Amino acid sequence: MKIGRLPALVRTTTFRLALLHASIFVLFSAALLAYLYSETAVHLNRQANAELTAEFRQLNEAYRGGLDRLAQSVRERSEARGKFFYLLLDPDKRRIEGGLDMLPAAPPPLGQVFDVRFNYNARSIGGELTRRSAEGRISRLPDCVLMVAYDRGDIGEMNRRITDVVWRSAAVGFVLSLIGGVVISRSAARRAEQLAKTTEDVMGGDLSRRAPVFGSGDEFDRLSEQLNAMLAKLERLVISSRSAGDSIAHDLRSPLTRLRNRLEAGLQDTNSEGPRTALARSIDDVDGVLGTFNAILRLSRVQAGASGSFKRTNVSDITDELAELYQPVCEERHLKFNYIHQDDLFVLADKDLIAQAMANLVDNAVKYTPEGGSVQIEAKRGANGDIDLVVTDDGPGIPPEDRERVVERFVRLEESRSAPGSGLGLALVAAVAEAHSGKLILSDAGGPPERPGLAATLALHAA
Amino acid sequence: MRVIVIEDDADAAAFVKRVLSEAGHSVDVCGDGESGLNKARTGEYDAMVVDRMLPGIDGLKLMKSYRDGGGRAPALFLSALGEVDHRVEGLQAGGDDYLAKPYAPSELVARVEALGRRATGDIPTTRLVVGGLEMDLLARTVTRDGQKIDLQPREFRLLEFLMRHAGQVVTRTMLLEKVWDYHFDPQTNVIDVHVSRLRGKIDKDFERPLLHTVRGAGYRLEA
Repeated sequence: MKIGRLPALVRTTTFRLALLHASIFVLFSAALLAYLYSETAVHLNRQANAELTAEFRQLNEAYRGGLDRLAQSVRERSEARGKFFYLLLDPDKRRIEGGLDMLPAAPPPLGQVFDVRFNYNARSIGGELTRRSAEGRISRLPDCVLMVAYDRGDIGEMNRRITDVVWRSAAVGFVLSLIGGVVISRSAARRAEQLAKTTEDVMGGDLSRRAPVFGSGDEFDRLSEQLNAMLAKLERLVISSRSAGDSIAHDLRSPLTRLRNRLEAGLQDTNSEGPRTALARSIDDVDGVLGTFNAILRLSRVQAGASGSFKRTNVSDITDELAELYQPVCEERHLKFNYIHQDDLFVLADKDLIAQAMANLVDNAVKYTPEGGSVQIEAKRGANGDIDLVVTDDGPGIPPEDRERVVERFVRLEESRSAPGSGLGLALVAAVAEAHSGKLILSDAGGPPERPGLAATLALHAA
Repeated sequence: MRVIVIEDDADAAAFVKRVLSEAGHSVDVCGDGESGLNKARTGEYDAMVVDRMLPGIDGLKLMKSYRDGGGRAPALFLSALGEVDHRVEGLQAGGDDYLAKPYAPSELVARVEALGRRATGDIPTTRLVVGGLEMDLLARTVTRDGQKIDLQPREFRLLEFLMRHAGQVVTRTMLLEKVWDYHFDPQTNVIDVHVSRLRGKIDKDFERPLLHTVRGAGYRLEA
């Protein structure tokens, strides 16, 4: 790990949590080991004390048989080389019996007993002198002083070892937890860094960048997925607005050029149609351009999101009115008109938007169906509980490969370039469908291959 | 008609003034809301044309104060915000009609003249008469020269609107808004077809036509 990176690492939340975790771990294990240590030490001391008391009792019993009896017993015990060692002194502190040279402390008053802890030199098997710790009990008897002691070396050793273990495991535990924390922190930091890098690249203009998803389903994966979904939507919007801008420029260039030519021709006296007609036609051209702008604005508003004007609406009322509005137009153009509807088709909808979308579909059907053909409006409950508003014609239809494209802004199929229209009609229908969480589905109407017709279905959720 | 135009954009105001003056109306222009409101309150005007976005006091507030103060002159809102929501706001504030920019001059004239007519015709009528054409609004019958004419409900409403605005130009958009309550432009000539059907019923067997097409503007019913 480079030194320069350390502060950044220490700043990360995960690292701080790891540090906290390590500290708590060490604290707990230290407490646990301390408890173990004290229990063990207390137990060992108590046991040694009990043995010392038993030894003393036995010697006291021997003393009832007189000082000689006691001296004999002390001698025998010393020679047995047990756990204890002894010292028996006369009142003048001269040694009568026992393995020790002298008392480590002044003897207590007559009839009293006291415990003493002291150090002494012992000769090990190898002959070296070592300083050892011992605990002894001294008793003043009427004609002698008795001390029984035992070596505390084993107990001290045990205590030292336990203390050692406690410290070492605390240190090792702390280091291990810290390392674990660093590892976790680094992996988390790396994920966060990848996300930061992705957003940085996106801000730098590369909208196709995506955050890595590892499939682990953890928080970072979920965050990445959300971020990616957002980026995908952003990218779509940017591309569509970019291409819409291009299309607007492209689509408006020809009427504006036409307008310019007409105005120029109007200026010249040689013009056959005369200035008034030229002006009148120019106004028509301008109206066409303005109409396109209005359609763009309306489309943007619908796409920007549904307003709060959605109400429970019976869409068969809307289709009733539309049928009534369009039937005469169809008849005038020698199209057979058919209206089929079920009653009470309730949908949560903006009535104006639905009416406009349906009007666009019917307009298209009327425009593209040749004389003698037929146009049908149908309002019904669909297969999966949806409400389907279907406009069907038996015109040229839309080839399957173009169906996705035609709902984009300004896309007009070559065959329809000559017909009036802005290329925004179906885009608006699709936007209205989306605003209602519904769908616009384009399909063949089932006519012969050379003239399959078009069935445009506005599928909405029933309410 | 005497019309007051309250519009801060000088070019737009000049355009409105010219269009309405050419149609034979006397027009005063006011550049801001405050003085516009004061002028309108003099009661000298038959109709108001108010821009929605004004410096100082905006069009909606102006309209509310004007109505709260008892002003009764009908008003047409002009706005670049041609959406239904805004239209509804305008009407709720006390406006009588709403016209989104950009608009055709003929549309503006037609709508302002329609406003003036509404103001004078406050008394509820049960009978409309234009030449030999008579409409009984209660019995819902129509006769021409005493001859009964059968109309569909929508045709009846269409004719009623035309008769209420007899002698004035009504545009296709006005018909779509007032008779059908649609606020968008169909790509096909739906309104023309309906009007020509109506014409077939009221004019066909008669020597003098009543329903005239005004080129580039709309229709006019006139004896």
